[in-house]
Amino acid sequence: MLDKFCRWLAICSMMPPLAFAEVQTGSDPETGLRFWQWSEDGVSVRLVQRLPDQTRGFFLARGFRAAEADRIARACVFQTIFRNDGARPVDFDLRDWRVLHQGQSSRLRVREDWDALWPEDAVSKAARIALRWSLLPTRQHFEPGDYNWGMSAYGLAPGSRFDLRLVLHIGGQPVEALLPGIECPRDGDKP
Amino acid sequence: MKTIFRLFGLLLLTGLVLAQQPGRGLTPVEGRPEAPDFTLLDLDGETHRLADYRGKVVIVNFWATWCPPCRAEMPSMQRAWEKLREQGVVMLGVDVGEDEETVFQFLADYPVEFPLLLDQDSRVIERWGVRGLPTTFVVDPEGRLAYRAVGGRKWDSPRLLEAVLALRH
Repeated sequence: MLDKFCRWLAICSMMPPLAFAEVQTGSDPETGLRFWQWSEDGVSVRLVQRLPDQTRGFFLARGFRAAEADRIARACVFQTIFRNDGARPVDFDLRDWRVLHQGQSSRLRVREDWDALWPEDAVSKAARIALRWSLLPTRQHFEPGDYNWGMSAYGLAPGSRFDLRLVLHIGGQPVEALLPGIECPRDGDKP
Repeated sequence: MKTIFRLFGLLLLTGLVLAQQPGRGLTPVEGRPEAPDFTLLDLDGETHRLADYRGKVVIVNFWATWCPPCRAEMPSMQRAWEKLREQGVVMLGVDVGEDEETVFQFLADYPVEFPLLLDQDSRVIERWGVRGLPTTFVVDPEGRLAYRAVGGRKWDSPRLLEAVLALRH
């Protein structure tokens, strides 16, 4: 009996971990900022609230004028940590993701959207570069072990609640998932 | 008794397999294309042209001071450079979109000694096809892109150092 169990364990130890999706939510004990995380097969996407004040300050320090920095800050911005700790390559295109809010479906505001928003002379080149590189890449390919941090913007008012439909490819296979009940940060959420 | 030891060993093995993090290394760049050449100034105003380092392995790290994973990997890059500098390996940090003063201020908290170059108009990073920061390439002595790493790494880990050193002639 024990021998059989040993053999079963040996087989199990050689198998890749079973794939299953998991959604986690919680809040940072120090900052009080909330996070939502989806993970499957070693791939994870974690959204951490960024207070509008944090985002406003970040972009003011990088050459944006007050009105433009405020516009970004109030666009429901999250710090996003996208990791591939799995064994297969991962591809994503944020333009495939959908923000589901009050029965409407919309797209994220990606690098190209922000770049097209302001006339050339309204925002300095240095500020544009800072915004482009501080946002999560619109498209990315991750080999196992790769990851990115970056802001993602959902274009909703502070305090809005939405679901996020994620679309990505793991090992070439399309994967769709829902991250429900995400709350856009607002300055009143300060701990 | 023997069976119990076997069972314990297998349990340990199972734990090790499950705890092992896959990847985290360097991804070979398919076909080893030629690295796009660049000429950039460092913080001391000295010019660095990638082509001038032909014959050496060059680690090119694209980063920015505000980027958390970039900051996190800097100490390990410094430690790696201390081990590699005498072995024919060059390390270049390419800061994207920031000025000299910002990078100088960063050095007060993160003292690094390898050259930090300024790609203020982001022309170089765009030509290298980078999508997110940090991204690091290892260029072989023939000037070709040998490895890529998207996101931070522990650059002084033996596995990474071995991969870099193995590119030398």
